[in-house]
Amino acid sequence: MSILAVYSIKGGVGKTAAAVNLAYLAAQEGVKTLLCDLDPQGASGFYFRMRPHSKYSAKKLLKGGSHLENGIRATDYNGLDMLPADFSYRNLDIVLDEQKKSSQRLAKVLQPLHKEYGRIVLDCPPNLTLLSENIFFAADIILVPMVPTTLSLLSLKQLYAFLDELGSGREKVRVFFSMVERRKKMHQQMMQAMGGKQSVLTALIPHCADIERMGLYRQPVMAELPSSMAAQAYRALWQELTDGDTA
Amino acid sequence: MSLVEDTWIIPETLARSALEAQLAQHFNLEALPEYTAVVTYVDTFDWRLYQAGLILHVHQRSWSLYANDGELILLKGGPQCKKACSIDVFPEGPMRSTLAPVIGIRALLPLAEVELQGRQLHLRNGDGKIVLRLVLEEQRLPGETHSFRMARVFPLRGYDEELAAVRALLQAQGIVEPVSPLAGFEAGCLATGRKPLDYSSKFTLALEPQLTAREALQRVYGELLTAMHRNFPGTMADLDSEFLHDLRVAVRRTRSALSLTKGVFSAEALKPFKQGFAELGRATGPTRDLDVYLLSEEASLARLHPELRSGLQAYFTDIARQRRKAQRNMVRFLGTSRVERLLSDWELFLAATPPPGGPLADKPIIKLANRIIRKHSQRVLRDGQNLDANTPDAEVHQLRIDCKKLRYSMEFFSSLYPEEAFAQLVKPLKAVQSILGDFNDLSVQQELLATTIRHWDMHKEAKETSKGVHRNALQEAEAEQIAALGALMQSLYEQQQPLRQHFAEVFASMTSDAQLELFNSLFGKQQRQP
Repeated sequence: MSILAVYSIKGGVGKTAAAVNLAYLAAQEGVKTLLCDLDPQGASGFYFRMRPHSKYSAKKLLKGGSHLENGIRATDYNGLDMLPADFSYRNLDIVLDEQKKSSQRLAKVLQPLHKEYGRIVLDCPPNLTLLSENIFFAADIILVPMVPTTLSLLSLKQLYAFLDELGSGREKVRVFFSMVERRKKMHQQMMQAMGGKQSVLTALIPHCADIERMGLYRQPVMAELPSSMAAQAYRALWQELTDGDTA
Repeated sequence: MSLVEDTWIIPETLARSALEAQLAQHFNLEALPEYTAVVTYVDTFDWRLYQAGLILHVHQRSWSLYANDGELILLKGGPQCKKACSIDVFPEGPMRSTLAPVIGIRALLPLAEVELQGRQLHLRNGDGKIVLRLVLEEQRLPGETHSFRMARVFPLRGYDEELAAVRALLQAQGIVEPVSPLAGFEAGCLATGRKPLDYSSKFTLALEPQLTAREALQRVYGELLTAMHRNFPGTMADLDSEFLHDLRVAVRRTRSALSLTKGVFSAEALKPFKQGFAELGRATGPTRDLDVYLLSEEASLARLHPELRSGLQAYFTDIARQRRKAQRNMVRFLGTSRVERLLSDWELFLAATPPPGGPLADKPIIKLANRIIRKHSQRVLRDGQNLDANTPDAEVHQLRIDCKKLRYSMEFFSSLYPEEAFAQLVKPLKAVQSILGDFNDLSVQQELLATTIRHWDMHKEAKETSKGVHRNALQEAEAEQIAALGALMQSLYEQQQPLRQHFAEVFASMTSDAQLELFNSLFGKQQRQP
């Protein structure tokens, strides 16, 4: 697994928190890692206290090469770099549409980065567009955080329908339960109904204050509170994702 | 050695607090805890880490390895390094896997002790993001008052403007003189008589063509004698097997030179030295042979069926025991006044002005070098032409020796010839030597195995114990050992035979028209082949 896309059609499901913490864990293993924030809100960058370069834009991302590489900045942590999102990313789909082979452009501009980075983590915007198509094409794993509610199940079905329409990508999907509240009956029922399916991971991320507070202390929960429950949950998730993975 | 960080001298007049106050005006300054430690810098005798751009130091059992791309690997609770330590004593992990391919079979030696005192500053911007790391450090040799005060800048990717701002700020404070971050390490090495890159096992010596043969040979021998002296203490202390190897190479090269350059010095005067160095070669042989077997242990085990491996392990345990004994004997011999006198007499002989010469003493070295290289290459070419898959082992062995002599003579005098053309000639010779060397190693190993099996004292251990319960177990263990030796011998044989198929083809690369032409242009016309 060299490209991990953390993706959800729905927003507010703990997607960015997962991307940030998993990227941190990847780097901790001694594999040089790039976290690529594709969401124009730039929440990943916020968690790392990082802003994009003033000259960086969606166009430069899609031009690739040094245009893209000049946008990369080091986080505060060894072996973890980041390509923060620019506000111009809100127009990514329009710029993509102007490209040749417009559904493979992202894979193409990420390709040369494999020389430097053993792992690339994509924090993806919540929608189903041409950019999503690019992400699904480029990714080795599409990691979907899912809050165990009926509405989430609906959007997961939408995702599968979209992938089927594209004709591939279904096998890349891994689902984990996110923002789980064990006291809620519906959460329990949903997890019971879906658990055991092949693409559903057993590790889950609980709904907890330590993760919510990431916005206050502005670093991965793994770095701020390494022995917290939340940190242990991300570690277990990472472990399950990389089991039998040598990349 | 280049490090990505830049390092600068902090002037004596500038207090650290004043510098920090200046920085605090432009950045949010986070100071990490002050550190003080006496660290020991380690490297192999031939500076393999230094050459690879790696710096390794140890403080008690905490190891820090800095790569020149700024990466840092830490190991807590690692081995101690008092006299020397090999890669085997490191636990599996990033430290070991980074070091292993670089240091190979050489041991890490403590080279210099340096007291480090300082602290790291994180320079943060308004968002609280770290934009640059700065280490303010004093390096001092233990017990000395003088210290190197330095500022080490570690930039972060994508924060170039901030880097420029910090550089300007440091400059304004008079921090303008660059310094090696290894200044303390280098001073510490000097204090123990070492200097980075002061030893390499490669023979390098610059000779000028107008030197007389006597002058040139004085220098060649002098260089080889230095190599012996430098490897002597490590051989005696058994720090790693390369000391003895390099010592033996220097002795062998000296002996080769003595026989290659007859007529330069008085034959009579050289006689005791020829004998002395021959004896030195013989006395150090057994230990080296056993070293070679031990170095092949891992590869040998890998050849065998897993069921047979324990039997082979017992064999290697025995070899290790023999080696310890051989080493003790060798150390006893090397410590005798005879060896000391040989080396000091040789030194005196070479230092004489001039040492007693022979008929060729005052000939220009270039003429002599041409003649020697021509003569030995002719021999190699002649014997090599007959080399094919059916050549008897003894002839292969002889050719290997001739190649070695040719190679040595080319090495001694390489500085007299154009570098590139010379390298072009050495390359195919190296290839021939490599295949003949492999062939020979495999022969030697098989011979030892054959001898061991032939002289096997059946049930030796079983005879020594009277308890029947043990006897069966011991006999079983012996059977396992013999089976393992047989299997290993077969495996070596199977690897050796296909090498023969390549003899002719590898040798052909030495005798192409282009090679011969180049040869003639460098060393003068060849005589016609009979």
